[in-house]
Amino acid sequence: MTKIIAVHSYKGGTGKTSMSVNLAATFTKMGKKVCIFDLDFRAPSLFAILKARDMECWLNDYLNGNCEINKALVDMSDKVTGGGEFYACLANPATEAIRDMSSKDRKWEMHALGKLLALKESLLKNNKFDYLVFDTSPGLQYSSINAIVAADFVVVATTGDRSDVDGTKRMLIELYNLFEKKTGLVLNKVLDPSITAKKTEMKNKIKTDYQVPLLGIMPCFCEILRNEGNLIFVQDKPDHPFTKILGEMARKIENDDLN
Amino acid sequence: MIRNDLSSKKPLNILEKIETSLEKLNDKMEVMIEIQKNNTGNNLKNTPTLPDASLDVMTLLSMPDHLRKTAMTICRCTRATAEEIAEQTKRARAVESAYLNQLVIMGYLKKERKGRKAYFFIERETQS
Repeated sequence: MTKIIAVHSYKGGTGKTSMSVNLAATFTKMGKKVCIFDLDFRAPSLFAILKARDMECWLNDYLNGNCEINKALVDMSDKVTGGGEFYACLANPATEAIRDMSSKDRKWEMHALGKLLALKESLLKNNKFDYLVFDTSPGLQYSSINAIVAADFVVVATTGDRSDVDGTKRMLIELYNLFEKKTGLVLNKVLDPSITAKKTEMKNKIKTDYQVPLLGIMPCFCEILRNEGNLIFVQDKPDHPFTKILGEMARKIENDDLN
Repeated sequence: MIRNDLSSKKPLNILEKIETSLEKLNDKMEVMIEIQKNNTGNNLKNTPTLPDASLDVMTLLSMPDHLRKTAMTICRCTRATAEEIAEQTKRARAVESAYLNQLVIMGYLKKERKGRKAYFFIERETQS
């Protein structure tokens, strides 16, 4: 059963953060208790996107063993309506914190993996969270691989960019397959609108090309870019196609319907 | 009547003993087959024993497939017996026992005996 979802990609700029925030918000709108985690310690962004204030503890502190996970959670349920609960666990954006996180050794990373795996007990079991969504940093690095190993399901965001396609294919074979992770691919920022109409054809092509199921095709919407990452789009625009596609993706994950 | 009972129990006992011995033999053979299949005997000889090797994700990535599966499972369980690991990996208990012991020799896991059971775990010391 999928409980922890990691959103990952080979390259940066594929729309991971936007997808993570809005996927978490979609689950909240479905009445679920959700927490989004910013695991991009090199370039933390959720702090700014969610406009968090007066943070007592960061995800960094939890992984460093300096605080309990409950202290690092911020209740942001007022930002999403729909009956669910929306929490965030944020990465510290201070330069000193970024420098500290980039100088960790293997032993620390092993400990961090243990801390992420412990969330199953502390948040999912004891605090009755329905979903934890990990927004990761792109490519192959410790924080993102830790997130992938701890997750039950990995959403891979990819664009039509040649370098991204090749890298993603390699990553799927050399990373996800090795860890035997359940994976779904999202073709994001698609410029050709006719592609979305040819869903079945695309589904088969993705399966042949990437050897993983297609979770969704997301067209490139200027409205998203115009928002400049300022808000939770699915909350603000409930009737927008972006919101509807994310709703379909969330239902597929919830029902484990990926074929 | 009593004699009859005894005479009927004796072959039964012998058969039970044979069954137990066969099970033990089967366990040992499964381990040998697995080791031969993955050539782990050679790998093990070449693997230096590290007193406190860390079982981090990059190490997991570089492991041979058969060991990675066991190592990943113990990562999730934190502490488990070979039987508990075997339940999750759907492989034979004896096979998991062999792999877990290899991981102990390689320095990635610790082993602790409690009564008849052997527990394997990752030592994650508390951080300062």
